[in-house]
Amino acid sequence: MRRWLLPLLLLLEIALFTSISGQSFHSFGEALSYFRSYFSDLLCQSAPVLLLAFGMTLVLMTAGIDLSVGSMVALVACVISSFPAGPGFWWTAVPAGLGLAMLLGATNGVLIARLDVPPIIATLGTMIFYRGLCFVVMGDLEKSPFLDVPGYETLGQFVGAGVLVAVVFLLGGGWFDCSRWRRELLMLGGNRVAARYAGIPVDRRILEVYTLVGLLGFLAALCFTARNGSVSASTLTGLELQVIVAVVLGGTRVQGGAGSLSGTFFGVLIIAVMDEGLRGAARWGDTHLPFKLSHLEYVLLGALLVLGVWLNNRAGQPTGRPTR
Amino acid sequence: MTHGRLSPFLRQRLLFLLAGNVALLAAIAVTVKQGGSFGEVLARCGPNVAPVVLAGLSLTGIICAGAIDLSIASIIVVAGTVFGILVHRQWPPLPCFAACALTAWGLSAWNGFLVRRLNVPAIIITLAGLALYRGVALILADVAIPNFGGSLDVPQEAYHAPGKQLAGWILLAALVGALVWEWFARTPRRWLALGSSEEACRLAGLDPRAILQSAFNVGGFFLGLAALVYVTQIQFIEPARMALGFELQVIGAVILGGTNIFGGEGSYAGTALGALFLYFTSQWMTYAGISPYFQEAITGAIIIAVIGLDCALHRRRKLLEELA
Repeated sequence: MRRWLLPLLLLLEIALFTSISGQSFHSFGEALSYFRSYFSDLLCQSAPVLLLAFGMTLVLMTAGIDLSVGSMVALVACVISSFPAGPGFWWTAVPAGLGLAMLLGATNGVLIARLDVPPIIATLGTMIFYRGLCFVVMGDLEKSPFLDVPGYETLGQFVGAGVLVAVVFLLGGGWFDCSRWRRELLMLGGNRVAARYAGIPVDRRILEVYTLVGLLGFLAALCFTARNGSVSASTLTGLELQVIVAVVLGGTRVQGGAGSLSGTFFGVLIIAVMDEGLRGAARWGDTHLPFKLSHLEYVLLGALLVLGVWLNNRAGQPTGRPTR
Repeated sequence: MTHGRLSPFLRQRLLFLLAGNVALLAAIAVTVKQGGSFGEVLARCGPNVAPVVLAGLSLTGIICAGAIDLSIASIIVVAGTVFGILVHRQWPPLPCFAACALTAWGLSAWNGFLVRRLNVPAIIITLAGLALYRGVALILADVAIPNFGGSLDVPQEAYHAPGKQLAGWILLAALVGALVWEWFARTPRRWLALGSSEEACRLAGLDPRAILQSAFNVGGFFLGLAALVYVTQIQFIEPARMALGFELQVIGAVILGGTNIFGGEGSYAGTALGALFLYFTSQWMTYAGISPYFQEAITGAIIIAVIGLDCALHRRRKLLEELA
C-alpha cells in the first residue's frame, strides 16, 4: 500500500467520525483543544496495541506470526495483579512480570526456532496454553491492585504511555531502521535458505524477535493495567486480530521480507480511531441504522485485513524502505 | 488422503493416538466415580465429540490442499443465527436444518472463492472471516429480530433432533463415508498433490485453483453437518459468545491427527482419533477431579508437546531438505 494513503485515510476517518458524532467547533482554539484531548486519549488507549504492533511487525518481517500476544499480555497482567499492592509492587511484581513476559516470548521462539514448529501452530498452541494459565492464576476473580500502587497510574496516562511509545517507536524504531539486525530479519523473512547460506544465525534471530515481543508484551501489560485498573482471566481476548490487522494495514507483508514501522504506527491509529469513532457514533447508529453500530466493527476489521493484504500484494514491492 | 500405503509418519501417529485413546479410556474406567458408569461415558462420547470431528473432517481436506480455514467457528455462528432466526419465525424443523447446513456450506465455498480470486493467503482471508462472519451474524440477528437481546431461544425439542438423538449416527455415517471416499476417490489425492507442490500440480496438467475450490466445497459439506449438530445441541444461540475458541479445538485435533499444517499429508482417520484423544483427555481430567481452570492449560500443553516433539524429530530431515 502506498505510504501517503495511510495518513490520508486516518484524516478522512477522523473527519467522518467527528461529523457523525455531531461535534461542532465555534473557534479554532476550541477545535485545537478538542483534538489535543482526543489524540491524547487515543494514544493512551492504543498504547498496548502500538507496543505489540511494533513487535508483530518484526515477527511478520521474518515470515512468522504471533497469535499468542493477547493471551501473553493477559497472563502477565494476571500474574502481576496477584502481587500485593503498595510501594513494594515495583520491586516484586514488575520484575516478575518482565521475567515472565520474556520467558513466554522466548518459549514461542524456542518452539519456532529450535523445534521448527510452524509459527502459526506454535503460537496457536501457546495462545490456548497461556490463556489456560490465566484461568489457573485468576479463576473467576477480577483483581485491581494497580490503583493502590504509587505512581502506577502514570503508565496509563499521556505522560507515561506517550513516553513508552515514543521510546519504543522513535529510539527503538530509529535504531532498528539503521541496524544490520533489520536487514537480517528482512532477509530471513524473504528467503530463509538464502539467509542461512549468507551466514545469518537464523535460529538466534527468530528467538530474539519472539523474546522482544515478550518484552513489548510486558510493557503493553503495564499500560493496559494502569489504564484499565483491573484484570480478569478473559481480558484482552481477540487482541491479536486487532494487532495483526493494524500491522498488515500499515504495509507489512504477511509473507515476510518487507515491513514498515511508520506504516504500523498509522495502521494502529486507524484501527483505534475506528474503534473510538464507532463507540462515539453509537447514538447516531441507534436512530439511523437497523443494527448496533458496534457490531459493524467486526465486519470492518475483517474487511480491512483482506483489503490491506490485497493492496500489499498488488503493490508487489516492499512498502517500507528498500532493503539495504 | 491415504490412498495406497500410509506414510511411516502417519502410521506412527495413528498408532500413537490409538494407543493413547485406549490408555485414556482405561484411565477413565479406573477413575469414573460412583453414580456414573463407563457405559455412559462411551454413550455420551458420540454426540459430544461429533461437532469437533465433523469440523475436523472439513479442515483436514482444506489443510491437506495447502490452505487453512480459521473462520469455521464464525461460520457456525452465522449458520446458527440463520437457524435461530428461522426458528423464531416458526419455520418447520426441516427447512431450518437445511438452511443451517447450507449457510455453512455456502460460506466455506465463498472462502474458497475469495482465496482463489484475490490470491491472498487462506490464513489471512479466514482470519478476517473469523471477525467478519461473527459481525455479520450479529447484524443479521439485529436486523431480523426486533429488540434482539443477544440470545435466540430454541425451546422446542423437535429442533434438537440432529444434535441430540441423531448426532452419533450423523458422525458415524459422515466418518465412514469420508474414509471410503478418501480411500477410493481421486479428489483427495489431488488435494495432497496441491498441498505438496502447486507447481508440480500445474505441470501435471491439473488446475490448482479448481482443486483448492473443491477442498473448500467438500469441507463446506462437513462443516454444514458440524454446524447442524453443534447448533441443535444448544438451547440458546448467542452470536457474540457462541463457539468461541472452537476453531482452536478443531485445529488442535487435526494437527494432533498427523495432518501436515503446510499441506500434502493427512488423513481423516487421524483427525477423528486426534479429536477423540483431546475429548478423552478432558473427560479423564474431569473424572480425576482436576480443576476446570487447569484443563485449558493442560490441553494447550498437550498440543504444544505433541507437535513440538513431532517437529523436533523431523527437524534434521527438514534442514537437510532445505539446504539440499
